[in-house]
Amino acid sequence: MKRVFGARGAVAALTIAAGVAAALAIFGVFGAHGAVPRTGPLTVRTGLKSPPVAFVRGDGLFRDKSGRSQLGAAVSGAMIGPLSPVAVGSTDGKLIAYNTWQELRTVDDEQSFSEQSIAEGDALGIPSLRVHDDAGNDLVVARGAYSAAWRQDGALAFAKGVDPDFRAGRTYNAQVVVRRGIHGRDVAWTTEPAHYVVYAWAGDRLLFYRVGLGEKLELFVADGPGKLRPLADGSAIAVSPDATRVAVLSQDATNVRVLEVASGSELSWLDVTTATTPLKWVAYSGSWVGDHIVVPASAGLAVLHVGSGSLELEQVLSLEHAEFPAGVQQPRFTDAAGNEIAATADIPPANGRAGLSFLLQCDRIARSCDRGEPAPAKEWLRQVDETAASGEGGH
Amino acid sequence: MRIRALAAAAVLVAVLSIPANAFAYLTWFEFTRQSNISSPLTMAWQYGPGYYGTQTWRAGSGVSTDACWVGHGWLPTGYYDLRGHWDNYNGTIRGRVFYLQDKTCWNGTWRTQLFIHSEETAGQGQYCPTAGDDPYCWDGPSDYYSNGCIKVSRAGNPSDLRLVHDGWHGKSGDYRHGYFTINNWLYVRG
Repeated sequence: MKRVFGARGAVAALTIAAGVAAALAIFGVFGAHGAVPRTGPLTVRTGLKSPPVAFVRGDGLFRDKSGRSQLGAAVSGAMIGPLSPVAVGSTDGKLIAYNTWQELRTVDDEQSFSEQSIAEGDALGIPSLRVHDDAGNDLVVARGAYSAAWRQDGALAFAKGVDPDFRAGRTYNAQVVVRRGIHGRDVAWTTEPAHYVVYAWAGDRLLFYRVGLGEKLELFVADGPGKLRPLADGSAIAVSPDATRVAVLSQDATNVRVLEVASGSELSWLDVTTATTPLKWVAYSGSWVGDHIVVPASAGLAVLHVGSGSLELEQVLSLEHAEFPAGVQQPRFTDAAGNEIAATADIPPANGRAGLSFLLQCDRIARSCDRGEPAPAKEWLRQVDETAASGEGGH
Repeated sequence: MRIRALAAAAVLVAVLSIPANAFAYLTWFEFTRQSNISSPLTMAWQYGPGYYGTQTWRAGSGVSTDACWVGHGWLPTGYYDLRGHWDNYNGTIRGRVFYLQDKTCWNGTWRTQLFIHSEETAGQGQYCPTAGDDPYCWDGPSDYYSNGCIKVSRAGNPSDLRLVHDGWHGKSGDYRHGYFTINNWLYVRG
């Protein structure tokens, strides 16, 4: 019978075993210290005292260094939901543009228009865009305007309504305009009025939505005034840090593509329903740092890895559905390494309790989150989008 | 023979004297949100004081269950007026459609340009040119997903869309098309 192990074999086996043990030890240490992102549930603790991000709530702006600043009006995303940030910081960090909503008449969301004697064409409210500066000055940039994005040079893009009033039974038609500085002149970049929402700048190119029948979202890019191109049917997840690419999402929320903004050509593609950890859907408005993208997902959060010509689902961070029935929105990396994530969680009304919002600050390596104090959902507790200043890719 | 003719004439007169809307019932819809791709859409009609008839179909709405998520979440709860009805609508949504009023969700976000519809062409046909998901072709249960609208199936004969459409006209006796308003036409709960 042939010997299975000789002396040499035994030495080799010992060497291999020692190597494996060492590798396991190293892996365990790094794992314990959180070097490896893994898919799994997020543990959520209460007690987030001081969020590392600036945020708005009601008529307050909250920053770690300066505490609360009084805004000129309460923030509101009534016209945009999560399509675009409620508040956006300028590149130099000195200005914050924010969305507001002036209610012209109270609308009960449980009752129909007819029950409230609201007739076709009745004015219900006016969205306005305001800017707040470091010194506490606060002014209206435009009435009948919403969804702002700062360009690197300080120009401000937004959607400006043809009629400032939001009216019952009427589409809120707007033009996308760009203003050089907040006191500058508006230059229309779109050629025909439609229901537009500005998303973000990708360098000197402007990304914006046209919202159609059935809330169909079409993503457009403008290379300049009147120079529009449809970029994708669907929505945008994030702009790359170098502003040359954008991750877009299909209408059915299952396919993510990375596109080159300049040409519209597809660089990579991922179907999240057939990924290693399958997801039912992902959603728009995430963020991109380095080669990672964080995105809201049916399970909670998903982190994608962008390679050269590839796109992979790297990590799924699941949240307890009973605790977070509506998941999280607008997640954003808050560190350069792409390990820390801040997001907003909304809790829909239930059993006579009104809807609530709170901030989550998560560590995707440790798979844990700290949860801030809840606020009434109608106060629009949201992070200030400071991607323009941080060098991070657009929201 | 003469008696028979008189009787027939009497019946005819009686039938013709019935108002055109004698069989028009107060008719409305209810949508009970249970899941994005399987929630009951019920048509209800009142055919006498305290007497109601109902017919229910499977329907879907949204991709997520957050009604405040524009172009993504299901329809907000509450009462909706109908803004109009078309048989051959020809926008990004096509065919037989019921146009609903705009609605705010629970945080104040406006949900707009919402419909009850399916996936068919403006001519009420099916256009299925690819093996993938075609927007004017009922490909299967995944087509119940929407950006927020309520969708019913266009599969089978008669399809649920046809039953909803014909049921509405038949029970309500309302054959109008185009823009018009019907108060409290839809109630969304859940």
